[in-house]
Amino acid sequence: MASETLTTNMSTEEKRPKRLPSATVARHRHRPRRTSRWRGWLYVLPAFAVYLAFVILPGLQALYLSFWHWDGVGPATPAGLDNYTQVLSDPQLRSSIAHAALLILFFAGLPIILGLLMAAVLARHERRGSTFFKTLFFLPHVVPLVAVGITWRWMYADNGVINSWLRAIGLESVTRAWLGDFTFALPAVGLIGTWALSGLCMVLFLSGAQKIDPSLYEAARLDGAGAVREFFAVTLPGLRGEIRVAMTVTVIAALASFDIVYVTTLGGPGDTTTVPSLLIYRLAFSVGKVGQASALGIVLTLLIGLAVILINRFVRTQES
Amino acid sequence: MRTMPLAATAVLAVSALTLSGCSLTPGASTGQQSTGPVSTALPSGHVTLTLAMSTGPDMASELIAAYEHLHPNVTIKRQYTSFSDYKQNIKLNLSSDKAPDIAQFNAGAMQSLIPAGLLVNLDPYAKAYHWSDQFPADGLEQVTAEKNGKTFGKGSLYAVPAGMSVTGVFYNKSLMKKAGVTRQPATLDEFASDLAKAKAAGQTPLSVGALDNGALHLWAAVLGKEMSGKQYRQWVYGQPGGDITTAAPKAATDRIAKWAKQGYIPDWANGTGQVDAAARFTEGQTTYLVSGSWAAVDIAKGLGDKAGFFLLPPTQAEGPAVANGSSVAYAVSSKSKHPEVAANFLNFLSSPTAAKIVAKGGFMPVNTQSIPKQSGLLGDLSGGYQQVVKDNGLLQFPDAASPDMLPILQSGLQSVIIQRKSTKDFLTSLQDAWSHSHGK
Repeated sequence: MASETLTTNMSTEEKRPKRLPSATVARHRHRPRRTSRWRGWLYVLPAFAVYLAFVILPGLQALYLSFWHWDGVGPATPAGLDNYTQVLSDPQLRSSIAHAALLILFFAGLPIILGLLMAAVLARHERRGSTFFKTLFFLPHVVPLVAVGITWRWMYADNGVINSWLRAIGLESVTRAWLGDFTFALPAVGLIGTWALSGLCMVLFLSGAQKIDPSLYEAARLDGAGAVREFFAVTLPGLRGEIRVAMTVTVIAALASFDIVYVTTLGGPGDTTTVPSLLIYRLAFSVGKVGQASALGIVLTLLIGLAVILINRFVRTQES
Repeated sequence: MRTMPLAATAVLAVSALTLSGCSLTPGASTGQQSTGPVSTALPSGHVTLTLAMSTGPDMASELIAAYEHLHPNVTIKRQYTSFSDYKQNIKLNLSSDKAPDIAQFNAGAMQSLIPAGLLVNLDPYAKAYHWSDQFPADGLEQVTAEKNGKTFGKGSLYAVPAGMSVTGVFYNKSLMKKAGVTRQPATLDEFASDLAKAKAAGQTPLSVGALDNGALHLWAAVLGKEMSGKQYRQWVYGQPGGDITTAAPKAATDRIAKWAKQGYIPDWANGTGQVDAAARFTEGQTTYLVSGSWAAVDIAKGLGDKAGFFLLPPTQAEGPAVANGSSVAYAVSSKSKHPEVAANFLNFLSSPTAAKIVAKGGFMPVNTQSIPKQSGLLGDLSGGYQQVVKDNGLLQFPDAASPDMLPILQSGLQSVIIQRKSTKDFLTSLQDAWSHSHGK
């Protein structure tokens, strides 16, 4: 959530230097500049106080705790870098990061492709009822993930609705209890993420597409471009900013995924769907190793930070 | 929302900061222990206690009401936390300044709470009230721990059970008859051949919800038959020399792998949770279900007279009655101003009045003499439980062996039942976790 606001802030920031000074100068021409600068901070203060209290300070506390051996109740003993060496040498961590990486395909890759497709279809001509469809596709993002997980768990059951569809089209042989299958459990979990996040991507892309100058489409059409050509020449380049936001949000969702996995598979079967957040949860709440859990939390945060930097760098270079 | 664990760690961190006050070291040792003789007399003035719990809030309310009726000068306030949050919550709760007087026991939290001195050592009260005569020995054993909070079964008493659970085999009488099984099995091998008959009759023999705890209950039940009670307790209580890699646990695990290979365990097991597995049994889709007393009320409602229950039979006929079971038990906070009243409430749990309330709440009463007469499935269940208590055969669940045991057991058994992991590797992984927690 926090990172979501962070990225939207980033994109507005680019425009700020042009607009903000002129606006403030226009309105408060008679006031000294220093006061207005302070006033700007005043506006930010409420949000910043909340951010400080609920994100920055707890984050720093987690960082601090990661250097202690602590069970959550009793006295703690200093740990130095022990927690980090233990966390990083855990073979389970490596496999869980690999699982999270595969989830990126399902949480970020597929939703962005699907979102772009839907945007391409819906954006060209505003049709009647398109608001209805937008709402409909966005709904999955509104439903709490725990409810989503429980529903999908039933759908994936061997006697669930997915298998009845497969049977109906004569694919009896591939039916199975999907979440209990060592090969298919992870993709099955990933598809839940695809379902939940595609609507978000679509809404982002649609609103982005509305900002694209219609004359560009007109020009493309006059030049004889078809729907496909139009998409690659006009829509896709026009949506770069939105793609960057969508990618940031969905990649974070994949790397930090917890609720879907916890509700559907608990990391099983075997360890095939174990993700880093699940390990953090186990360390802190089952095993009572708060220091190690914090260390893993910090490692995961760094990893996500790195992913976000890479995404922003990558998409930006393409832009320039 | 999606970064919940991080947020949770953060909340924890903030609480830690508050807890430790200005000290820079996280956490702080607090409790003070009073030793010496205790009184069983109650004060005459008005006393208000708080009770924190996670299981059976209705049962606790009724127990409290009955106790308050007996002692009008005592008021007990309830504090409910959902089961999944309880373990972490109770640690913070008991170390806070407003700690509850009585708290539901949670084995996983003990390794923090006992060394921090946050729980009253109940030994003096046990002596004063003669609890060893009034509570099942197995029930007390599970809440008896050493000062490290990790080794159970010996040391001091830290809680008192209100009710017990017991696991065994639920069966569908009409399906069993259709499969040609006419008697209850006297040995494990006989049970295996009954499973084979059910399979041959085209039935799904066992309902197993291996996605969470289903395979665990099945494996633990078989394990309790193969291992001697002494061997099993040594391991599950974390006592020196505990070993799960010996011949007996191997035999138990091999049995599970074999039952799976022969199709007695359905191929949907790994993708199905235990609640859903129990529902399938209740809908008449499977012949047998290994589960516990907590599932009985729903099964009785769904299957009526068709449902029965027996204890998983021993390896040799006429062997002792053994079953897994745990308790809902209550401990006393060392910050309580009225530990003698709290202890008196615990003593009340063994009364016939409490037994009736506990039985209604879906647990087996600690006072086996006062179990209300029941027929059908619930009668089978309390009969089996009484046998187990008589034979001292109630075994703690295996996930209590160390704090990180549960996910290792769950994922390991998922691999065992699809023949992906050998018995030896599975047991070695359990023993590694055990040694990590308890030493060699």
